Amino acid sequence: MVLTDMSVDLSTQVVDHYENPRNVGSLDKTSKNVGTGLVGAPACGDVMKLQIQVDEKGKIVDARFKTFGCGSAIASSSLATEWVKGKTVEEALTIKNTDIAKELCLPPVKLHCSMLAEDAIKAALADYKLKQEPKKGEAEKK
Amino acid sequence: MLLRAAWRRAAVAVTAAPGPKPAAPTRGLRLRVGDHAPQSAVPADTTVAPEAGPVLRPLYMDVQATTPLDPRVLDAMLPYLINYYGNPHSRTHAYGWESEAAMERARQQVASLIGADPREIIFTSGATESNNIAIKGVARFYRSRKKHLITTQTEHKCVLDSCRSLEAEGFQVTYLPVQKSGIIDLKELEAAIQPDTSLVSVMTVNNEIGVKQPIAEIGQICSSRKVYFHTDAAQAVGKIPLDVNDMKIDLMSISGHKIYGPKGCVIWVYTLWNARALMGSHSPVPFFRFGIGRFTTEEEVDYTVEKCIQHVKRLREMSPLWEMVQDGIDLKSIKWTQH
Repeated sequence: MVLTDMSVDLSTQVVDHYENPRNVGSLDKTSKNVGTGLVGAPACGDVMKLQIQVDEKGKIVDARFKTFGCGSAIASSSLATEWVKGKTVEEALTIKNTDIAKELCLPPVKLHCSMLAEDAIKAALADYKLKQEPKKGEAEKK
Repeated sequence: MLLRAAWRRAAVAVTAAPGPKPAAPTRGLRLRVGDHAPQSAVPADTTVAPEAGPVLRPLYMDVQATTPLDPRVLDAMLPYLINYYGNPHSRTHAYGWESEAAMERARQQVASLIGADPREIIFTSGATESNNIAIKGVARFYRSRKKHLITTQTEHKCVLDSCRSLEAEGFQVTYLPVQKSGIIDLKELEAAIQPDTSLVSVMTVNNEIGVKQPIAEIGQICSSRKVYFHTDAAQAVGKIPLDVNDMKIDLMSISGHKIYGPKGCVIWVYTLWNARALMGSHSPVPFFRFGIGRFTTEEEVDYTVEKCIQHVKRLREMSPLWEMVQDGIDLKSIKWTQH
């Protein structure tokens, strides 16, 4: 079944991520090695949750996502989880929304999905960093 | 007929297009297969040539607003638009006679759909006009003795506007509230009827939330209190069983374009000025109708429903909101990040 984002065709990459999303799921958000980013708002139509699991050397070894939104939003967050895996925390910070948009051939009307995915990555990394500081051990619920 | 064949060819083209599709019933789906390269936001050339190729249109699910014309309806209408174009009221020649015969056949069909006599059917330009005629007509006819009308707060805009314009003429209107279920309280209705009430207007099925009002009970109340009962049945006709005699309906508005007919041409008002004996009906349970449009065979409906369920389940499993709800988190309590 093919979705249409209004009158715009979805690129094959987006359709692929929608039909076969990678890394859907959840990690244990209470774990010290897991950073959780929750961005977006139901009122805006897009909510993304992205989680990363980092080993003791600072490398992201696993990532999961859950997204409420259109095909482009699902694809952007799915791609984001693919890209962060294997990167260090510093390298993951360099992932840009323009790269995601280019990879998925997102049309202008769907650029905000890639921006939200970048925000989700950054939020997950920020949460992980916060957890590493022993004094401020509480992961804040946004 | 020609058009039906054309639609079948289009449906075949859709099923032949690349894509994971089992044998899908696609009768009459107005899709054109799109095959042009997707636009990318990053390069500068985002203008699309007008003839870039046909585009897949979104699936239409707003069936409560209007429905596409069924090919069988078009087939039935076409002869009278092309060949048999006489005015049904031209009493003196064959063109008029054959048109009149067709109109009377249509009248009979409508009548048997709602359990009425063909002489009680009037064709208007739409349910809006029918509602206006019914409400303003009855109110003004009894203006000298009765100045009160009752309706509900969830009626269609044309009903509410008719009532408002009558209020400006000096009539008094009671707008009954609905309960949480969307259904009116019958006791409130009974209490609202005054000695000078001429008309009660309650729609059979609501066009926005799909609830069915207890029409038979309302008809019984109105009949026992000698008040005319009008119902806007635009969303109900052809979908739930209706019998104007059993339900003691005096006036009914019907809309053709809600039941796969054309817009603006053939809408019916039914008028009845006699009281009828009541037969009991069970109280309707409210339900929310999910419009899946022009899938009319069981096979098509099953297929569509299965597809919907499958995709909704998949999307739900992918949703962080569903996960939070399952964990017992109140979504309203979350401060979302702005974007």
